[in-house]
Order: sequence, then structure tokens, then C-alpha cells
Amino acid sequence: MRNLRLIPRLDVKMEWLIKGVQMEGWRKVGDPAEYAKAYADAGADELLFMDVVASLYERNSLHDIVSKVASVVFVPMTVGGGIRTVEDVSAMLACGADKVALNTAATRNPELITDVANRFGAQATVVSIEAIRDKGSWLAMTDNGRNHTGRNVIEWAKEAEERGAGELIITSIDREGLGHGYDLDLIRLVTEQVRIPIVSGGGLGTTDHLSDLIDKTQASAASVAQALHWKKLNMSDLRDTLNANDCFVRRLT
Amino acid sequence: MARKPNALDINLNMSLFEPGASNLPRKYGLPERVQFCNKCGVSNQRPNSAVEFQHTEKSEKKTINFDDSGVCDACRTAERKTAEIDWDEREAKLVALCDRFRSRNGSYDCLVPGSGGKDSFYQSWMLKYKYGMNPLTVTWAPNIYTDWGRHNFDAWIHSGMDNYLMTASGRSKRLLTRLAVENIFHAFQPFIIGQKCFAPKMALMFQIPLVFYGENEAEYGNPIDDNAEAQRSYDYFASSGEENMFLGGESVASLKADFGMSQADLTPYLPSDVEPLRKLGAEVHYLGYYLKWHPQAAYYFAVENGGFKASPERTAGTYSKYNSIDDKIDDFHYYTTYIKFGIGRATYDASQEVRSGDIAREEAVALIRRYDGEFPERWAEEIFEYLSIDEKSFPEAHKMFEHPIMDRAYFEALTNKFRSPHLWQHDGTDWSLRHRIEQI
Repeated sequence: MRNLRLIPRLDVKMEWLIKGVQMEGWRKVGDPAEYAKAYADAGADELLFMDVVASLYERNSLHDIVSKVASVVFVPMTVGGGIRTVEDVSAMLACGADKVALNTAATRNPELITDVANRFGAQATVVSIEAIRDKGSWLAMTDNGRNHTGRNVIEWAKEAEERGAGELIITSIDREGLGHGYDLDLIRLVTEQVRIPIVSGGGLGTTDHLSDLIDKTQASAASVAQALHWKKLNMSDLRDTLNANDCFVRRLT
Repeated sequence: MARKPNALDINLNMSLFEPGASNLPRKYGLPERVQFCNKCGVSNQRPNSAVEFQHTEKSEKKTINFDDSGVCDACRTAERKTAEIDWDEREAKLVALCDRFRSRNGSYDCLVPGSGGKDSFYQSWMLKYKYGMNPLTVTWAPNIYTDWGRHNFDAWIHSGMDNYLMTASGRSKRLLTRLAVENIFHAFQPFIIGQKCFAPKMALMFQIPLVFYGENEAEYGNPIDDNAEAQRSYDYFASSGEENMFLGGESVASLKADFGMSQADLTPYLPSDVEPLRKLGAEVHYLGYYLKWHPQAAYYFAVENGGFKASPERTAGTYSKYNSIDDKIDDFHYYTTYIKFGIGRATYDASQEVRSGDIAREEAVALIRRYDGEFPERWAEEIFEYLSIDEKSFPEAHKMFEHPIMDRAYFEALTNKFRSPHLWQHDGTDWSLRHRIEQI
């Protein structure tokens, strides 16, 4: 039986849960802590918090939200956005995060991945890659899809693995927020090139998209945002789809 | 007429730019004291819309009004949108307007000028599919399309819109743009002029009296009372003659006599005569008067309904990817506003998003401080080549420039010429603004 984790993604800006389209044009959704609790109670395997403007504003404002959520939610939490140093990682883990997601800072200083993995373990070291299609390949972007890194996604994924990352989150900028389905070519290609778990992000809009991901890729997890936030789907729909596709589904207590 | 002097030969009086200098001269009639709006962060140096045909190097600007509380007219306009305006009543007026002009036989009954960006997509879509009109869309082509600008234009047309795309001669557009940069440091001016004049001309050609523009410029800082009217004044796009008319800061007479431009070269840029427009009964309305305008919502709408794509990278000088992304010269336009008025693209984008409730002022300040004034490197070489007046392409105009080739050094020399001492200082090594918006 395959294990594919369901991970609601909560993009946060200041005190708000927000959502964009193609990582642009953020719209306020609500209180991130309330949504996080609801998703966890409804069967999320993990949660992913991203401060989408942390790099843009060179700040990080997730500590309070993470602490608040950690006191009421008991599924693993990955937290990203504005984590630039080993000390930042330490502070975020102390707030209750189980893993941290590195992107902008890691592309500038890949040694950070090694440092974090050595200090906190590969299981806590996640590299988040924002991928944009460029003709036949994909480019890695930062600052929530705004800036080029000059890196090819596949090469960067391999380097991140070599440097000690225990997991990768691969988000398709082209498809993010649209609900037209994941970029399966991208996910397939990355999973063929690395051995660590891959979280697929950017595009889930229907349960068929989840079935496609299970069928056509070796992704280890699916991150979901707009379909849940705008209540087009609920966790139960997604769990039923996992069941129907012979995937392990965590029992609710 | 004398040739355009070589900007590299200009000796600036650097004492005017010393840090701490006082009683500093001001260019463009800008306000002496620099202020930043307490609500959105825009600066009081922001010029209002002007009749571009009268724009010369001696022109003085009217600037955005700030009230006694230090709040700009654009913010007050935004407040009115939320607090005072009855949008149901406005929509009823729109329906009545459409009914007055609606075609009974399927012929075009309104004209929508646009680029295929998020706003024109929203405009034409609403008119066609919600209000049952038969719009003809018309487009004045950008100087140099971005790949995504062209994609969005195509997506717009294929969402069900008929369109006339006017692509003015590259040579006349290049020359006018170079003159606009040389004379008034305004790389976008020929585009703006062409764009504003094109729709009324097409209205005349097709005898379509109803023209819809998007939002009123009052949303961005023109006098608040401008927004009380649904219609745009003829002054912006109609004229009664070529006397005292300027393109790129150069008189029409000189463009013909000295720069080798023919009447045919200039025709696309010249405004319509007023009389035929009056005879047609042309009415140019702002759709934003009738429907509550929200640029971000228009972006969502265009993505969801028409395959609009944000650009694959943020625009130089700002943080955004969805706004005004069609033309490679756009980046330079906002760079020049940063030089002349101390206002870069991040200020325009962020202050608008604050007014729309999408970001907080604190965030706007951080974005402005981070991105405003970033030099537009990504297409600089292409733009410099575009602005160069080579002898083969411009046999007559070439002789009118002491330095016809635009390169980085020449552009920087021109840049310095247009800095106002009351805004800029030079510490012996670098230029910086004397007044920057403060972080809280």
C-alpha cells in the first residue's frame, strides 16, 4: 500500500492566511491558526506554513502563529519563509515546527542546507523549490516566484539532496492557484532524479488531480491550498480519493 | 534648428547637489517640501495627468493634492469608493448607458481600447458577456512586446474579442521615443499619446460613439473631483490644430522640417479633430465610474476567464508580476519617474495596493525602500539600441543629434541632467534621494 501524505499549505502574510494565483495577487482568506486546526482535525497528515513575504520584506513573522498552532495541532508542521541562518532554524523549531523549508537563503548560500542538516538532521531539513517552466526545462525562482536564481530545477534538486536535504517541496509557479492540476512532467522528472521524498505543490483543483499524481508520479506528498481555502474540496474528499487509489489513510481519532 | 547637444558634455553644477545644501532649485514646478502620504506612502511630488501635446522641457507639473491630515487625493478617492458610492446605482447607470447605445443588429456598439492586460480583459469581458454589448477592442501596440505581453494580448482576443492592432512604424516610434527621452526624459510619452489618440480615431472610422476606458486617473492621484464624472474630457485626445503641438517635446513643425518626419509618419500620433467627434456624439466613459475597480480582482478575473499569465519574474523596480507588463520600455518609464520625481515603480504599485486594501502601509514602505529606483538592467541593451538614431535608418534625424547613439554612458549623463537638486544629493561617489519614506 502506498503512502501519500496530504499537506494543506498555508501561505501567510503578516497575521493573515492569504492565497495568490501564480504566486501573485494575494487575497486574504482568514486566520491561519483557525484554518490549520480545522485541516488537522479533518485528517491532514502534515501542515505547511509559508511566510510568502518574508524574503520580500526581509523579515520573518511566523513565530507567533507557529507557536499558537503548535499548542493546538498535533500533526507535523513544516515552516518556511525568511529562514536565513541556523539560528533562524533553531528559533522556528523551538516554536513548534518539526521541519523548516529553505529556499531563497539556500539558493544564495547552499552550504546552509548542509549546516542545517548537520545540526538538526535531514528529517528537519526541507528545501522548497519554486519552479517555472522555461521552454523544455524548469528554472528555480525565489522570493515567492519573483526572482531568478540562475539554477535549473533538476540540478538544484540533486544538489539539495547531496547537501543533506531530507525532503523537497516542488511547486509549479505556472500552475499555482489555478486549480488545473499539478505539473506532472515536473514532478515525474524530479522524482526520477532524486531519492528523497517529493512534495508536489501548485495546481490541485479536483480529486482527479490527486488521482493523477498518484497514478503518474512517485510523489510522496501532495500539498493543497486554494481548493481547500475556497472550499471547492474538503479533506474528506481528498482522503476518499487516497482510499480509492489504494493509498494509506490515517485514521481520525 | 540647433542640433541636440551632447549630454556627455554637460557640466552639472555639483554644488547644488551637496548633502546639506539649502535653498535648492526645483525642476518641473515640484513642491518644495517632500511629503509622503500618511495612508499609502505616495509622495507629494507625483504629477497629475497632463495634456501630453503641450509637454515640453519647460513644462511645469501640477501634482497630487494632500489634505491637512497629510492624506493624498488618491486615498480619499479610495475611501469614497468604499464608504460613499452606491455601486448598485452606478451599475444601473451603466445598464442605462449601454441600452442607449446598444446595437440591435449585432454591429459594434462600443469601443474598448486596451492592451490585453488584466484591466482591458475585465472591461471588454464585462461589457460583452455581462452587459450584452458588442465591443470592438482596439490596441496601440507596445514599443517592444514582452513575450508574456504578447501571450496575454492573444489570450484576450481569443477569449472572444474582435480587435484592431495598430502597430505604428518602428522608425517613427523610435525617433519620437528618443526625442522624448532626450527632451523630457519620458520614454513612454509617444506610446501614451498614440494610445490615447487611437481609440477616438477608430470611433470615428467605425462611427461608434461610445468608448470605454478603464479606471479614472483620479484613482491614482488626479484631483478627486475628476472621479465625480463618468466621462473623460476631450482635451486629452482631441485638438483643433497642429500649432503649439509637441510630440516627444519637439514641435510638430520641427519634426517635419528638421527631423525628416512626414505628415504620414506623424498622423498616428496626432489627435482627432474635435468637430467630427462632436458631430458623431462621441462619449468617452470610464468603466471604473460604474463598476468598483480593483486591479488585483481584475488580475484574478483575467486569469480565471482568459488564460492571462503573470510575468515569469518580477518587474524591475518593483515586486509585482501582474501589472503593466506588456512593453519592455515600461521599466525605463518608471526609472525616469524615479529620477525626475523621486517616485519609482514600487511606489506606484505599493501605494495602489494599500489603497485597495491588499497590503499594509508598513509593507508598502518596505517594498518601496527595497525596490524603488532599481535600474532596469534586464532589457537595457535592447532599449539603448532602440533609442539609437543610426544614420542608415534615420538619414535626416541622425544629423540633428551631436550624439545620436544611446548607450549606458549617454543615458546616465541624461539621467543626471534631469535630477532636481531639491530631490537628489551626491556624496562624491553616489547619488541618493534627499528624502526617503521612513520605516515605522
